[in-house]
Amino acid sequence: MRRLEAIRELAAGWTDELVVATTGMISRELYVVRDRPENFYMCGSMGCALGIGLGVALARPERKVVVLDGDGAALMGLGSLALARYLRLPNLEHIILDNGTYASTGDQPTCSAAVNFEDVGFNVRVLRVEPGNEPGTPRIPYPPTEMRARFEAAARLSRAEARDRSA
Amino acid sequence: MRAGATLTSAVGLYAELRRQGYNFFVGVPCSGLKAFINDLAADKEFPFIPAPREDVALAMAAGAAMAGRKPLVYLQSSGLGHLVNPITSLLKPYGISVHLLISLRTQPFEHFEMHRVARPLLELLQYDDFTLVEERACDA
Repeated sequence: MRRLEAIRELAAGWTDELVVATTGMISRELYVVRDRPENFYMCGSMGCALGIGLGVALARPERKVVVLDGDGAALMGLGSLALARYLRLPNLEHIILDNGTYASTGDQPTCSAAVNFEDVGFNVRVLRVEPGNEPGTPRIPYPPTEMRARFEAAARLSRAEARDRSA
Repeated sequence: MRAGATLTSAVGLYAELRRQGYNFFVGVPCSGLKAFINDLAADKEFPFIPAPREDVALAMAAGAAMAGRKPLVYLQSSGLGHLVNPITSLLKPYGISVHLLISLRTQPFEHFEMHRVARPLLELLQYDDFTLVEERACDA
């Protein structure tokens, strides 16, 4: 499956979930298929998506949090997967789109074939996707402070308020 | 906590930070922060979070900040290098505030170069939301 289609299917199922999307094409493709204030688009700080998600999930236990990661980024932050398994937060799901490459930088190989992410992290779902990027995917047009502000506002809603808003 | 201050002891620091409203603590330990970390671990209001590396701690603090907490990350100066990426590409561009409590190690030899560059590095990063703790008796 193409990564864009995998993201489209995942995003279609989200209601009030707070989503932290890793840097590069994964954030940009999520922006294309379903832009919403509950999405936090990381640009930079590769490997930190799960850390951010853990912080949000700990601070807002009543809200569901999804981390949308890539295999290269998950490998870069592999220690955070172990911490997630230690903390076992029931409101956090870690989805890893695994194409075995650093696709955003031109499909250079990663070492993801050597790792079973489900055995390291917690609530991990690995989706195998094809390498490569969709041509013409735009950059996310929002200034970073605006992406932060709208995510902050979404994260501070109660679960009931968030459900009303997304209904 | 006055930004950029240097303290000589971490005794009583946790209570002071709680008074100042900090309510999310995560980091990597240092013997120079033992008093602070013992007080944090004894406070049952918060889970103790054993971060595997400083950048994971800072990312968690950034997430908690966006979710409404007032976070603090503690570390020893040896781990400051791990924060360069999340400070430059996450905290600063997105405008997220996290206070850093940094134990400034001076010895043994492997700490000397970072002791020399820690404050200039923070200045270079234009990151002034930190407190240094320089405890001479620090041993590990």
